[in-house]
Amino acid sequence: AADKIRLIPQDFFAELCEQIIQHLNHKIPGINTAELCQRIQTSGVDINIGDLAKIANSLSFLFSTAARNNLSTEELVTTLGSGVSPLPKHAVQVIRHVWNEQGKAIAVSEDAGDMATVGQFVDMKWKLGVAMSSDTCRSLKYPYVTVTLTVADTAGQITDKSFEMTIPQFKNFFRQFKEMASVLETV
Amino acid sequence: MAALGDGDFAALQILLKAPSKDAVRQLCQECFSSPPAALRPLAQRAGPGLAVSAEEAEQLVFALHNLTRHVVYRGLTRAEDILCLFPENFHQNLKNLLTKIILENISAWRNEAQASQISLPRLVDMDWRVDIKTSSDSIARMAVPTCLLQLKIQEDAALCGNNPVVSALTVELSKETLDTMLEGLGRIRDQLSAVANK
Repeated sequence: AADKIRLIPQDFFAELCEQIIQHLNHKIPGINTAELCQRIQTSGVDINIGDLAKIANSLSFLFSTAARNNLSTEELVTTLGSGVSPLPKHAVQVIRHVWNEQGKAIAVSEDAGDMATVGQFVDMKWKLGVAMSSDTCRSLKYPYVTVTLTVADTAGQITDKSFEMTIPQFKNFFRQFKEMASVLETV
Repeated sequence: MAALGDGDFAALQILLKAPSKDAVRQLCQECFSSPPAALRPLAQRAGPGLAVSAEEAEQLVFALHNLTRHVVYRGLTRAEDILCLFPENFHQNLKNLLTKIILENISAWRNEAQASQISLPRLVDMDWRVDIKTSSDSIARMAVPTCLLQLKIQEDAALCGNNPVVSALTVELSKETLDTMLEGLGRIRDQLSAVANK
């Protein structure tokens, strides 16, 4: 991953580290890898989302381990330098800066919300549409609901999942959620 | 969806060689359901039963596919509308038989067309469970209710053919996030009622 880190421009790398620290501090629900990757690619850098995700995971692990062991900035930088493949200088600079500013604030959290064994729901967007026509039926008038769920996976990476429902499916979906809410109330 | 040409109707008359009305019925259904790419193999299977050459079987199968798909595309539901698709000199009894078969199947075929049209992945199943987190390695005692939801989502059927890919999305919801979700769903429901009343 070190050689891929070399490709990321300094300001984007700083933004990535910022997001990771904020996520570890529970200030944001997750790391927007997809969106960041898009912007990095637009700036002309050839990096794919898989590589960026691996880098984000490694950095997240680095920061959380350093927090748990209460490492000072100098100790963290020394540890980085002693790795098998040294990080590029600009990356070490960013990490040093970010850790100095915010590293100590990473609380070893007592929050119950920390136990992320499955994806965490972040947001839901929806659309109600009517399909008017298609190559198989000139006059359809078929209503459907499209939903996009934004989920932060166990590593904190944010992904979107979109799917469609027919109206009867939607009604059942809604009914199930109401039932879940009432069980959560009474439990 | 192009209208049928004379060649198509000429090919349809090959059905006069069919062994029975049920054989015609069966072939109509298979020709409608088959995607264009699978028509040639279908013709190879159907040819022997009709005692025609491979070429004639192919012409018939394509014509029947075009006819049935055309009726569904145009949304024709009345016998008169289907009958007038045929040219003047078309065999009377065969015309009536085909019209009858089409009318019997039209609603199932329309549903089939709707189900296989392009779409985003579809929700096929949902399961949920409410848990209470009672303790963890960092907190000895707590009573946090939490909801686990698993959605099974099937990728676009048209892209996967006969082996649809189903992926499972497992998500944890807290009371707050569940309320956010409910609020969103409630708005959809309100919109649906508003649209239904128009």
